[in-house]
Amino acid sequence: MDAYRLGVSRTAWAVVSAVALWMLTPVPACADEPLFGYTYTTDLLPKGKFEVEQWSTTRFTKAHGSFWLQEGRSEVEYGLTDRLQVSLYANYAFTHANHNAVDGTTTPPETFAGPLFNPNAAFDGKKYVGTSLEAIYRLTSPYEHPLGVALYFEPTIGQGLREYESKLILQKNFRDDRLVLGFNATVAQERRWLEGDSTAGSGSAGSVSHWDHETDINLSGGATYRFARSWSAGLEFMNEREFSSFAFWNSDDATNSAYDVGPVVHYGGRHFFVTVTALKQLPWASDFTKPPSNVLLGGRTYADDFERYRARVRFGWYW
Amino acid sequence: MNYRLVFMPVASLAILAGPAYSKVYLSVEQAQAILFPGATMKPAFQTLTRDQAKAIEKRSGVDVRSNNVKIWRASTGGYFIADEVVGKHEFIPFALALDEQGNVKGVEVLEYREAYGGQIRDPQWRKQFVGKKPGERLRLGKDIQNVSGATLSCRHITDGVTRLLATYEVLFGHSRG
Repeated sequence: MDAYRLGVSRTAWAVVSAVALWMLTPVPACADEPLFGYTYTTDLLPKGKFEVEQWSTTRFTKAHGSFWLQEGRSEVEYGLTDRLQVSLYANYAFTHANHNAVDGTTTPPETFAGPLFNPNAAFDGKKYVGTSLEAIYRLTSPYEHPLGVALYFEPTIGQGLREYESKLILQKNFRDDRLVLGFNATVAQERRWLEGDSTAGSGSAGSVSHWDHETDINLSGGATYRFARSWSAGLEFMNEREFSSFAFWNSDDATNSAYDVGPVVHYGGRHFFVTVTALKQLPWASDFTKPPSNVLLGGRTYADDFERYRARVRFGWYW
Repeated sequence: MNYRLVFMPVASLAILAGPAYSKVYLSVEQAQAILFPGATMKPAFQTLTRDQAKAIEKRSGVDVRSNNVKIWRASTGGYFIADEVVGKHEFIPFALALDEQGNVKGVEVLEYREAYGGQIRDPQWRKQFVGKKPGERLRLGKDIQNVSGATLSCRHITDGVTRLLATYEVLFGHSRG
């Protein structure tokens, strides 16, 4: 891990230095800025404008032991028209897990599911998760219509991963657009390649390698207020529900539900922005699996895609 | 864990965050000279009462953020108002000129601090406001055409002019002709 840390640090500082030099050059810019960490709004890049954005999400603290997951996304956005924005993402992740599950075993995060691992030893991993394409089409603008509405599509392909995410984005502004409410309804359907576990019962689903199907239904939203020039702050929430198939309308396939809430702060500068959100899981989680899969502790779920805290930093440059 | 990965970008950006970009196009005096050539301007500043502010908000549908109205009376007739509206990050100072009947003579953008959306300075776009009457509620996309890529600035200037037309009506009792 040390070699890796050194490598990332050098690369990151090189990027920051290059950006610092670039920012000294007066060039026209546009503003398509995320006011929230997790919730999209309907503000898009104008036609012909570019934006580069870096995402850094840290998820940490499980039921026991030690756990962290660092997710990175490097993104380039482009305004194809004033209503249609497209993006290309590179997604990567690093993790450490050690005796973190409710039963005291080691459980890697869902991103690292697939290869077999030793549940009685620490797990450290890094991987290139996949490449995503994204398109957002705005139907109505909150500056011209009572409600901003946009549709979002994002396919992702990676080694052992096929995911398709779609989203309905709503935005409502108040008080000279200083108070912004955002809401997203997201359906993410994914196929993940899982290696067969010879220790699983013969004939069981886990005994042979297979494509695992899952659906995430996320409802997220928030309110943010511009309290000073360039600065906004507010609150963001998220409800994440998982299903063990693509048939998310079938309640028998529901597996988990968790609620997260926390503050969000945004700064918009001349050529860049930064948005920081920190969410904490509320003790309102549910485990719907039959029989129960022993992932709940203190009202929170610690299934492989859930943890107690997650913090996200998004920063970007536009021109 | 490697917390540097999380906090390094924030610290770097905090260092890089310099003063906001600002471009001053016109001073108040320069705008007065353009909108009322040859006239002398006499300050007639007003402070809105709570009832007046409420009446303006009711007529315009726009919030009144400041009760201070920076208004001048022109020796050749008409009024000049200096005001500001919310931009993407900063305020946008602008000036509105009204003729003797309170109809819009012209709009000037005094300063634009945003790095994007400066198309509102386009004379053709600003010309759309000329002739609008006191108390008229202007709607972006209907009464005033939008400029693609500058929607927020267009919307707020439109709202600002609407608010000032309502302000004139409330202060001087003129209504739409």
